[in-house]
Amino acid sequence: MREGLYYSREHEWVKLEGKLARVGVTDYAQKKLGDIVYVELPEVGKRVSQVKEKKTKEMELGAVESIKAVSMVYAPMSGSVREVNSALQDRPELVNTSPYDEGWICLLEPSDPKAELRNLMNASEYAEFLKGLK
Amino acid sequence: MGHPYIPNTREIRGQMLREMGVASVDELFADIPAKIRLRRELKLPGPMSELEVKRHVQAMLARNRPFTQMLSFLGGGVWLHHIPAHVRELVRRSEFLTSYTPYQPEVSQGMLQALFEYQGMICELTGMDVANASMYDWATSLGEAALMCARVTGRRKFIVPALINPERFSTLQNYVSGPGLELIKIGYDSRTGQLDLCQLRRELGGDVAGVYVENPSYLGFLETQVDEVAKAAHEVRSLFVVGVNPISLGLLKAPGDYGADIVIGEGQPLGNPVSFGGPLLGIFACRDDVKLVRQMPGRLIGMTTALDGRTRGYVMVLQTREQHIRRERATSSICSNEALCGVAAAIYLASLGPRGLRELGEACAANANYAMRKLRAIKGLKVPIFDAPHFNEFTLNCDDIGISAAKLNAELLKRDIQGGKPLRGEFPELGETSLMCVTELHTKEDIDRLTSALAEIAG
Amino acid sequence: MGKPGRAGYTLPPKLHEQLKIPKKLLREELELPELSEVEVVRHYTHLSQMNYGVDSGFYPLGSCTMKYNPKVCEELASLEEAACIHPYQAEDTVQGALELMYKLEHCLAEVAGVDRVCLHPSAGAHGEFVAMLLTRAYHKFKGDGGRTQVIVPDSAHGTNPASAAMAGYEVVTVPSDARGRVDLKALEAAASERTAALMLTNPNTLGLFEDEILKIAEVIHGVGGLLFYDGANLNGILGKARPGDMGFDIVHFNIHKTFSTPHGGGGPGAGPVGVKSELEKFLPVPVVGYDEKRKRYYLDYNRPHSIGKVKAFYGSFGVLVKAYAYILLMGAEGLAEVAEAAVLNANYIMRKLSGTRGYELKFDAGGPCKHEVVFSAEPLRRETGVSAKDVAKRLLDYGMHAPTYYFPPIVSEALMIEPTESEPKEELDCFVEALKNIAEEARSNPERLRVAPTATAIGRLDEVKASREPILSWKMYHKHRA
Repeated sequence: MREGLYYSREHEWVKLEGKLARVGVTDYAQKKLGDIVYVELPEVGKRVSQVKEKKTKEMELGAVESIKAVSMVYAPMSGSVREVNSALQDRPELVNTSPYDEGWICLLEPSDPKAELRNLMNASEYAEFLKGLK
Repeated sequence: MGHPYIPNTREIRGQMLREMGVASVDELFADIPAKIRLRRELKLPGPMSELEVKRHVQAMLARNRPFTQMLSFLGGGVWLHHIPAHVRELVRRSEFLTSYTPYQPEVSQGMLQALFEYQGMICELTGMDVANASMYDWATSLGEAALMCARVTGRRKFIVPALINPERFSTLQNYVSGPGLELIKIGYDSRTGQLDLCQLRRELGGDVAGVYVENPSYLGFLETQVDEVAKAAHEVRSLFVVGVNPISLGLLKAPGDYGADIVIGEGQPLGNPVSFGGPLLGIFACRDDVKLVRQMPGRLIGMTTALDGRTRGYVMVLQTREQHIRRERATSSICSNEALCGVAAAIYLASLGPRGLRELGEACAANANYAMRKLRAIKGLKVPIFDAPHFNEFTLNCDDIGISAAKLNAELLKRDIQGGKPLRGEFPELGETSLMCVTELHTKEDIDRLTSALAEIAG
Repeated sequence: MGKPGRAGYTLPPKLHEQLKIPKKLLREELELPELSEVEVVRHYTHLSQMNYGVDSGFYPLGSCTMKYNPKVCEELASLEEAACIHPYQAEDTVQGALELMYKLEHCLAEVAGVDRVCLHPSAGAHGEFVAMLLTRAYHKFKGDGGRTQVIVPDSAHGTNPASAAMAGYEVVTVPSDARGRVDLKALEAAASERTAALMLTNPNTLGLFEDEILKIAEVIHGVGGLLFYDGANLNGILGKARPGDMGFDIVHFNIHKTFSTPHGGGGPGAGPVGVKSELEKFLPVPVVGYDEKRKRYYLDYNRPHSIGKVKAFYGSFGVLVKAYAYILLMGAEGLAEVAEAAVLNANYIMRKLSGTRGYELKFDAGGPCKHEVVFSAEPLRRETGVSAKDVAKRLLDYGMHAPTYYFPPIVSEALMIEPTESEPKEELDCFVEALKNIAEEARSNPERLRVAPTATAIGRLDEVKASREPILSWKMYHKHRA
């Protein structure tokens, strides 16, 4: 994982960039899925709410697919989608090779980042969380 | 003596039980609660030897009158065409017949390639870019198409013609009942049968997911305004779905060439027997638009290479749309399909080729034309009831003779002729009208025989 | 392929008629291959030689019941009297077909312990969908509009939740317990006045009999829901128990599994649906009736509460003929023997493979399995890094078809093995031996497994590339290359 990022229990990462927040899936997620063949990107303007234990449609940003599995991508923060990484349309494998950089999924305009950060983990907390999963 | 289909005889089974340290086979069913354990034999016929079964079933089936032994003018959803002998031979090869879904591509290249070829040929016929490896039939393909339109557009209305085949409409109603889509029927011109474009344009709004036409229509006439229908649908960003009898596409323009986004239809006439209405073959194809392809139901076969990067091979692709991966979020629950019927269709199309298919279409249309000409000359008959070009099916109205279409058929049957399908129950506004079908199987003498019989009955 | 001018089909000379079709409606060109009959036959014969079927060898696909398909059934379905009849023919000319359907309906009703069967659905998933439509019609008729949920076990086949969702239901999943059966406590918690139905297969996808089925029925019926039986695993209990007696209200059958019609590389099959009497009125039209007085069969469309049509015509008659013939061949004693032999074969494999290092039974309660057994290759993976998929691929090199793997989803590295009653003991011994050898090979030479199969027509394929850049027709292939 990467320092300076925040993590959800659903293996999404969030990077605060001024007023915006860049979102992607973690290295753990891409490894678990295997070779990614398709990324279902959200529509620009879509409003989402921060993912909680009980999942609803409003928390869904999109999905990442391998040939044998589909993994939902949930919103680590509430807000609206400002930009999507269209490079993933032709090169979905970027999520495998560069999950934290070129494999970013979308840019959100978060509605309440300060408060919602409290529901996310930092790098070391996420590392602990991963240990607990094994 | 051992059963022919159960190689482990009682003795061998005893030996296996001993090896396992189990006293009797009953122990293996001991976990079934006594209350529900069946203590009697099932009340079933048999067992019979192969010879006895043959005799028994043949005697039962002998109470059927095959259309090969009489003159039949039935169509309306399944059609009588000649199936070349080699199609049946090839499709019965047990490597195809007894195989399962090609989940292990390394040992299923035969089926995978055959289905890939089927997909490609359906694309050529329909003018689409992507076709799946089969659905159950035309009716369920229509249901799935409506659901797909709703998923792709996010809208809730689906428009169909009033003269839609009622069995397909009923099936469609069941399919759209899940998400609760609204179905709207568009009327027709009583003289030409053509879709009422004014009414269509009034109904077309930003809430219409798809517009559907059947071409040729259920009643056999061609929709001559399909370009306008496509344009109207696309103007409101609705999808345009066309339903076809693929036999007509050797002669008629491909729906892809007049704006269709999705093409569905009945593949049975392509090399598959009528078989009392099943098994059938649902055709489902669409344009190469990632938004459409990802929402397509059914299995898709794709070309790829072996891991060496060079040897060409085929595999099932985009399986993440399907039920075994997406479960309740799948594009459809379809799992088993009509694959072997699809392979028969591929063999049939490969055998006919473009020229054969066009000649077949011309023969069907020519025979139907001849029949319409001769029949309309009979006083009291209106043939066809719609003033429009037809393919190989047409309507025949006998209101002016004073007997019902059903009675007409009864009279024809006395003369060893199976008449068309009476439509009174489905479209009472059309009066005593039957749906007739003529194919390449009918000779001039057959049609003349029908003509004399009808002239006699009418006179 | 082929050359211009070649044809594999000839037509009799056609009539000289002027076609009244406007030119703008006619097509200009059609790109299809032009082949002689010889080329067509050679091409497809060659393709068939690259395909593996039940007639080729062992095909232990779990929950697929790949049993032997008797050839006399094929013969009967190909008779002119079966293949050359039109569904709209005068009823007097198809009495044989109607009689066969009527009698088959009754046989299936007896096998399942239900009151009436509808032969219309074309496949298992179609039958499940119809069952969901019947469920909704039933609750609607009773004025019970609040039933929006369908409960499905986490071990269920994907078609179950997919069919329920297609019918507009919200799918509620219940977990399996430590014994591999439906967790009764979780089921009680999930069942409510919003429950329309529970979808269950018994034996379940782990090959284990849901011995608490009577309790399960009580829970669901107690909240006013219906019990639906997924008939995929009927082969494990034929003649020993009947879903109708267990409390199931709707039952579906996989004709191409239990009743031995060939799978055809994916289809055609048939998925008839049987119901208890309260649901009879909702069945699709037409229903086959028998007029006692006039001694004739007829198609009954007079069903005011019917859900209507779920497909065109009356069902896959060409498939149903084979099933009827199969039932006649086997009779009641034969079908019971089928279940005994199938269950014995699966338990034999379970015993022989148990204790083999690398494979474990996740839900080993010490009891018997039914017609299929699920092993986990997780120990092998932990020890050698080799997966269930690698094991399955290597089996192909032994001339056998692989079992189902990675299903059911609740068992990691699952290998789902259903031998059926068609397998001789020697084949089972070979299979167990092969699995043991493969486990050994995983330890000594794992690379061999990862590149398997090597003895088949083609080796492993690049499925990732296939899905990343889908090429779904020759047209797309040429476009892609350009």
